[in-house]
Amino acid sequence: MSELVQDSVPQLAPGCRLNAPGQPEDLLLIPEGALRLKGPARSIVELCNGARTVREVIERLQRNHPPENAARIETEAIAFLTRLRDKRVIECS
Amino acid sequence: MNYQLRSVIAEITHRCPLHCVYCSNPLEMRQRSTELPTESWLSIFQQAGEMGVLQLHLTGGEPLARSDIVELTCAGRAAHLYVNLITSGVGLDESRLDALIEAGLDHVQLSFQDIEETPANEFAGTRAHALKLRVAELIRARRIGFTINIVVHRRNLGRLEAMVAFAEHSGAQKLEVAHVQYYGWAFRNRDALMPTHEQLQRSVEIVEAARERLKGRLRIDFVLPDYYAQFPKPCMNGWGHQTMLIDPAGRAMPCHSAPVIPGLEFANARERPLRWIWEESPAFTCFRDEDWMPEPCRSCDRRVRDFGGCRCQAFLLTGSAAATDPVCTLAPTHAVVAETLRSINASANASRDRSWVYRGDPN
Repeated sequence: MSELVQDSVPQLAPGCRLNAPGQPEDLLLIPEGALRLKGPARSIVELCNGARTVREVIERLQRNHPPENAARIETEAIAFLTRLRDKRVIECS
Repeated sequence: MNYQLRSVIAEITHRCPLHCVYCSNPLEMRQRSTELPTESWLSIFQQAGEMGVLQLHLTGGEPLARSDIVELTCAGRAAHLYVNLITSGVGLDESRLDALIEAGLDHVQLSFQDIEETPANEFAGTRAHALKLRVAELIRARRIGFTINIVVHRRNLGRLEAMVAFAEHSGAQKLEVAHVQYYGWAFRNRDALMPTHEQLQRSVEIVEAARERLKGRLRIDFVLPDYYAQFPKPCMNGWGHQTMLIDPAGRAMPCHSAPVIPGLEFANARERPLRWIWEESPAFTCFRDEDWMPEPCRSCDRRVRDFGGCRCQAFLLTGSAAATDPVCTLAPTHAVVAETLRSINASANASRDRSWVYRGDPN
């Protein structure tokens, strides 16, 4: 399995998708059921479109927040994407 | 206690081109003339979505035997459901697969009976294996969730490693290795299908080694034959806890095997709202909580994990659906399972090629 690095290009794995917007809760639907998405999780997944690198995803997230949060956003986004990758919900090329 | 319905298994037809010797469908199958029309299924899916159901499994029989399968898939997606097609592959060509994906199909579970053509066709009672291989290629070439399911038993376990190797290179994300569960037609053929203890042990070793080797590449789900277990399986994750199965005629049941239990009346989803069936119908509430439990379940710490096991199996093996599942080593009736296994293991070599009974197709 390749490591999740800044140049990885993440996208949802086949058989995994976000539920429609505007539902009572944000869910990532997967073959075994669903993962509940809290806080910024949905927008992070939405940014993983198979074209952006991890670095670009993080830059996008950082844009909407004060600069002092940049390091924390990066750490948390990478931890989240790594968890999804380990569950095979996202794949990286 | 409140139970959230999570998944609906829509058994849209019992018609099937395969005649698997371990078929889990009920002994008495629904004929084509009794099948629900498209609009009834559309209403069911709509209601399911409104109740917060997440998953819709389109199954059968062979769901592709329904000419409205694309419309049904589309309706499932429109109701915000994750749509899984459980299929033998028979009836799936390139254009139909594309139409299903276009309609929003999320996932395909494709069954194989073996990895070698001759036995595969023998177990299926029809020549379908070569076609399944072609269908696997079609699925692999598209971006869709893909699981390969292989049911294993005494006569094909010797090829388990080859099955894993096939799945590894098939493009599937998941392999489900499912030991036969002894209900429906499989119960009738049990003595010809049950693996020996030695075979079972070997299958566990093979799967564990494969899981380690394929970590991050292929997930392997493994369903054990519960006759050999120390404790029962949490059947359906609890009776009426998460899942509703609707048969081709619209009967709503807690599991596909439930009609074997005498005295249960299943409401029809054409006549009753799904929510009422789930929350109030006696067939769903009768074994839902713990009031029905006998000892040793009632005072057992495991009851919150295995819910006393399987009601259908309790009935099939003890004559009482409210008994502790006899596969449990703590069950007072466990001897019936122990004796079955003793006899099967003693005679397994002699009866290795014991014949079985094929089932027909409903008209």
